[in-house]
Amino acid sequence: MYPQVLFANRKASRIATMEEYCRSGGYEALSLVVGKWTGKDVCAEVQRANLRGRGGAGFPAAIKWLGVPEEADYPRYVVANCDEMEPGTFKDRVLVHADPHMILEGMALTGYATGAEKGFIFVRPSYESSARILEREIQKARDAGYLGKNILGTDFSFEIVVHRSGGRYICGEATALLNALQGKRPNPVKPPPYPTVKGLWGRPTVVNNIETMANVPHILRNGAEWYQGLSRSSTSPGTKLFCVSGRVNGPGCFELPMGITLREIIEEHAGGLQPGCHYKACLPGGASTRYLTSEHLDVPMDFESVAAIGHRMGTAAIIVFDQNTCLVGATLNLTQFFARESCGWCTPCREGLPYLRDLLWRIEKGEGEEEFIPMMRAMCDQLWNAYCALAPGAASPVESLLTYFEDEVREHIRQKRCPFKT
Amino acid sequence: MPRIVIDGLEIEVPQETKVIDAAERLGIMIPRFCYLKSLGAVGACRVCAVKFLQGPFKGVQMSCMVDVQDGMVVSTTDDEAVAFRRQVIEWLMLNHPHDCPVCDEGGQCLLQDETVSGGHGIRRYKGSKRTYRNQYLGEFIAHEMNRCIHCYRCSRFYQEYCGYRDLGVMQIADRVYFGRFQNGQLESPFSGNLVDLCPTGVYTDIPARYKVRSWDLDRSPSVCIHCSLGCNTVANARYRTVWRVEGRYNEALGSEFICDRGRFGFGYTNQPSRPRQARVDSRSVALSDALKSAAEKLSRIHAASGPRAIACVGSARNSLETQTMLKSLCDGLGLPAPCFFVNSQTEKAVKRAVASLDERVAVSLNGVAHGDFIVAVGVDPLNEAPMLALAMRQAHRRGALLVILDPRPSFLPAPHVHLGFAPGELNGVLGSLVGKALETGDEGKLPPLHEDFLKSLPLESLFKAPVNHGEELDVVLSALQKSRRPVLVCGSEIVRENTPSLCADLALLMRSAKGQCGLFYVLPGANAFGGALLSGSEESSFMEVVESMEQGCTKALVLVESDPFLQFPHKDRLKRAMEKLELLIVLDHLPSLSAEMSHVFLPTSTLFEVDSTFINQEGRVQWSRAVHEGGIPMEQWTEGNHPPRAHGAIIPGQDFKAAGKVLEEIARNMGASGEVSLSDPRFRPGKGASPLEGAPGDRPGDGMRLIPRESSREPFSAREEYFTFGEDAGDSLELLLVEALFGTEELSAHSPALEKVEPKPHMWMHEQDASMLGFSQDDVIAMDLEGGVVEVRLKVSPSMARGVLVLPRHHRLQWQKFRDISVRVPHDRMRKS
Amino acid sequence: MAYADLLPEEMRKQLIQRIAEGETAREQAIDVMTALQNHFGHMSDQAMLVASELLAMTPLELEELATFYNFIYRQPVGKYVIHVCDSAVCWMHGHESLMDHLLSRLKIRLGETTEDGLFTVLPVCCLGYCDHAPAMLVNRHIHGELTREKIDRILTRLAEEPHLPTGMK
Ligand SMILES: Cc1cc2nc3c(=O)[nH]c(=O)nc-3n(C[C@H](O)[C@H](O)[C@H](O)COP(=O)(O)O)c2cc1C
Ligand code: SF4
Ligand code: FES
Repeated sequence: MYPQVLFANRKASRIATMEEYCRSGGYEALSLVVGKWTGKDVCAEVQRANLRGRGGAGFPAAIKWLGVPEEADYPRYVVANCDEMEPGTFKDRVLVHADPHMILEGMALTGYATGAEKGFIFVRPSYESSARILEREIQKARDAGYLGKNILGTDFSFEIVVHRSGGRYICGEATALLNALQGKRPNPVKPPPYPTVKGLWGRPTVVNNIETMANVPHILRNGAEWYQGLSRSSTSPGTKLFCVSGRVNGPGCFELPMGITLREIIEEHAGGLQPGCHYKACLPGGASTRYLTSEHLDVPMDFESVAAIGHRMGTAAIIVFDQNTCLVGATLNLTQFFARESCGWCTPCREGLPYLRDLLWRIEKGEGEEEFIPMMRAMCDQLWNAYCALAPGAASPVESLLTYFEDEVREHIRQKRCPFKT
Repeated sequence: MPRIVIDGLEIEVPQETKVIDAAERLGIMIPRFCYLKSLGAVGACRVCAVKFLQGPFKGVQMSCMVDVQDGMVVSTTDDEAVAFRRQVIEWLMLNHPHDCPVCDEGGQCLLQDETVSGGHGIRRYKGSKRTYRNQYLGEFIAHEMNRCIHCYRCSRFYQEYCGYRDLGVMQIADRVYFGRFQNGQLESPFSGNLVDLCPTGVYTDIPARYKVRSWDLDRSPSVCIHCSLGCNTVANARYRTVWRVEGRYNEALGSEFICDRGRFGFGYTNQPSRPRQARVDSRSVALSDALKSAAEKLSRIHAASGPRAIACVGSARNSLETQTMLKSLCDGLGLPAPCFFVNSQTEKAVKRAVASLDERVAVSLNGVAHGDFIVAVGVDPLNEAPMLALAMRQAHRRGALLVILDPRPSFLPAPHVHLGFAPGELNGVLGSLVGKALETGDEGKLPPLHEDFLKSLPLESLFKAPVNHGEELDVVLSALQKSRRPVLVCGSEIVRENTPSLCADLALLMRSAKGQCGLFYVLPGANAFGGALLSGSEESSFMEVVESMEQGCTKALVLVESDPFLQFPHKDRLKRAMEKLELLIVLDHLPSLSAEMSHVFLPTSTLFEVDSTFINQEGRVQWSRAVHEGGIPMEQWTEGNHPPRAHGAIIPGQDFKAAGKVLEEIARNMGASGEVSLSDPRFRPGKGASPLEGAPGDRPGDGMRLIPRESSREPFSAREEYFTFGEDAGDSLELLLVEALFGTEELSAHSPALEKVEPKPHMWMHEQDASMLGFSQDDVIAMDLEGGVVEVRLKVSPSMARGVLVLPRHHRLQWQKFRDISVRVPHDRMRKS
Repeated sequence: MAYADLLPEEMRKQLIQRIAEGETAREQAIDVMTALQNHFGHMSDQAMLVASELLAMTPLELEELATFYNFIYRQPVGKYVIHVCDSAVCWMHGHESLMDHLLSRLKIRLGETTEDGLFTVLPVCCLGYCDHAPAMLVNRHIHGELTREKIDRILTRLAEEPHLPTGMK
């Protein structure tokens, strides 16, 4: 068992209460910091800890916060991203159901660090229960003086509002999220200006994943060194919530050190593959990452190590496929997802993904042609010139399918049918 | 200024120039769909990709999204960029219906052009095409969504640029749909621009639909003459018919957009009722005979009763050629100077405005769009000069506060402060607003004359005003105080005659206090500016012409593209006076009562049939080229047969001439010199030739500003008369005859397309005035006037001025029953009917 | 407010209050539409006009949002809206045959509503319950580890107990 930080109070049957959270050191960071440290001090400590964003890109949180110009106008805002619509990913839901106050404290501290007095939690519709939990616990925290006006008797005030999404994958993308929150169409907006300069209603706004924010109280309370020590990786500190799903015996969300190997996660923590199943591939960080094959099982799961072999760790949501699963079919399914969830703003994504879907569908149906393969390769390359990161993400499974499983694709074309279907 | 190398060519461009625009300056046209300079860059279509070889960016990037920076080296021909662009085109064509043969955009379709230039020719996609249902978008624009390539230009233009909220983007992913919530007429009076904007045939204009192929059209650069702004256009004609008018970019005006009045108002030139036949005493004759007869008859009166017995009236829709010829005819024959305005109060205001413009303050439409505080005085932008409303909106989008100081209910597609004061109060309110704003701090810094003028401003009158504008005024004041680039916009139709001079004085004052201040007038008519320059002294007003006709002194009247019945307040009186004339000569291309009454009728060409010159309200001379030679439209002549079966050497209905040419021949026949002389020194603004000289090719594309460095008018000379407050309203309402977007302007009132959308005649009253009189919204009110009873539907507004009656001069309303233009309608003369 | 008068007094007041609490009215557009759709059954044209009045947005501006999202229904739906996840993990766990089962049991096609007006079945992308795949959502309540039998049980229970709260659709 590795040290449990975010899941310290996680229980199988119920949500940790505020009291339980406090007993485990909850809200200590808030009283430690608020009114005593400056916002800059908070940023500095988080920067020393090198906390990296958990929403998919791994961007250093403190660097983002420091992007809020010192002289910027008020009000400023903080947004906790609990949209989590990346297929395979469910850690945010588990975290809310484990210890909601950790998120609230993390948000308040992020607000304190950046001079914001209002935060929004953006929640997807299928997480209605999370939204209700958060609303209920916000009220409790407010009653206890951890949120609201003059927190802990200081002149720092911080409010949190739960904002329910109408439900679309693109809403998770930070700039699209800000549009969605303001009641505009959730198309992404290319920076500059960055949200930290002009975000919600033209004001400086910090957007972080809720897991990122949940780390903040622990870093401030225990210090950067402690935080670095949690990890097995020199570049990605802390623990990470890994979601494992697919053909494993024990799917679930596990808090493990950064840098732990893929093999250990799958074989030990997720209980290995189901009886009769052998590992064929996995997507290591949600649908928008590249397939990792059995060659890659010993890669340490941290941002740098995965990047070093030309892959992305993404949300660390591992979807495991076995030898009997058709990866053309799986990739078709993923492409269908992205094509449907494209916001429709830019041409590569809006038109290119349905095109790819059509090609994959034809291959899977037995109507594939040899020339589809170079066409798909070229199109995957072209998708990188889309407006936002959705389309490059969508290209990842397709491109890696062609890289690692070209034979399987060719077999479909040769046999004019899916070899996995009997 | 940063330098960039594109395809081996180097160019230096101003800061914040996009790479795509820098390339255009080098003559390299990078493909684009979503990008449009006026709308800004959004990077949606991805077809403008180029490869960045050196500099801060590397690799394939969108040239519309990157500002030029020093050290950039860019290739538009790099394989990777070319391949990507070709791929984008293929994507865009996946679902396109390929219905070019029946598409009105065909031949002037950006999608066609880019598909060919991008090298996409072979269809690889085997999937089925997406299809959409179209919507009914009203009388102007047809909708064909299957052709859409989702560039987002339409929704961005419609909502962001214009501020209307009934067309937009719905759905998601590859189902994205541009349209309305439900079928219905588009609300924006700028909707026609969708036709020009759309890079393919989603929006095509209904009047020209299925009538012509674009490659068959004759096209020429033209100017819009449906208001005084003179937006630049392209006229399109074929089969002796003008089919379409498009917007044309003019850098000084700052956009390529036009309003729907300007776009769909051209119908007068084609209409069957257009008088095309010369007549003498009700007999149809050849134009040459009619000309001779006109000259003879005029000569007879000239000889018998002297030159003072002949009066000439032009109009603000005359071209400059016509106006100068009319002036030179009058000068040559010793006639009284021509009159170009029916309403003498307006005439005075226009003349003052024209005399007040000078280079130090005069701004163009684009200048309004870049102001940081715009106050519009006695002007109703959307109704009088629609594109001004859009320019003001752009100023708002850049952060300006917009203030409208006007008695009418105000409709502006942008948030603004409306201060509803009566015409008599405008000077005082404006004066004290500026006075208050400049009051603090700046003393001593101003030149003495300016200082004196500032001191003379009535600081208090604004705040005594009997209207509860308190909070708004504070906002306005503080914005004006902070402003660095204020712009004063001033109307000329309903203001007091000295309001334009006051605005000029205030603009000069603010300029010395702030370093910069813009002045922008709105005038009544496309060439009101020319009319003001060329008409005689103020005494020769149209009212005097009428009186002189009544007394029998004026025996002959020459009406040059002018129908005074539309403007003169008392129709029967004018008719009686005109019936006394020995000779009425009418030159026109519009049907009118004057034309019907004429002894000699001489048909003239329209804008589309002769090269002509107009001076817009800021003194910009602009040239319009004929697009065709006119004649009875083929459709009318052949009763719709196509191809036409009637053949002959003579083009029917072409026996007309430009009004100026008609006048020239009359003058020659009468022995006058007939030489065009532009004697007013203002026609020679120092640099450049007179606007009527030189070859068309030498003329500057943006037009030529005809205003002096400093105005000839003595500034700050008339300050006392500015602030005499108006008479007490008493038991009456002040009548304001005004322009409306559709339905009042003379030329477009003859457009079948606009007739379908023009509102029913109505008039406006403040809701409290209405309730005091026992009236409410939609009541039909009968006004018992000198000339009979006028019945009109009432609209009420809470924000307009008290004590006024706003009556749009709708062409369907017989309103001309008033004693005078500046008249009060007593309460007891109004009743519910 | 001509259309908003269609709402019960209490609800109208609540919505107006909620709208006033936001930084802008627009911010509340999704919440207001969700509330109205629970009230009216779906976002009918009339409901759109109510929302338009409450939020001071044009119907088109609301349509721009309503048609973007998965959980705003511009067409009539049943009392229970079943969103069946069809993304990768559920797909791997037999989503297709479960969907077939569900639809044949309800005798409808995907996107349709049962004749009794009780059920509508819609596809949806990954619900975030991959650890409980295959999963579906009924009026925003999650049901995971689905089997044919479990689906039968859920449908029977819902059909037999129409007094069950409909919850948020
Ligand atoms: C298409 C797309 C979807 C995304 N969805 C999510 C999401 O559901 N949750 C999330 O936290 N980040 C998501 N992101 C990443 C966000 O844009 C953003 O980087 C993140 O919320 C920042 O938080 P972090 O720095 O704490 O990771 C998404 C990005 C893209 C391109
Ligand atoms: S890649 Fe383009 S269409 Fe796709 S989600 Fe991003 S902006 Fe929208
Ligand atoms: S013109 Fe640059 S992306 Fe469309």
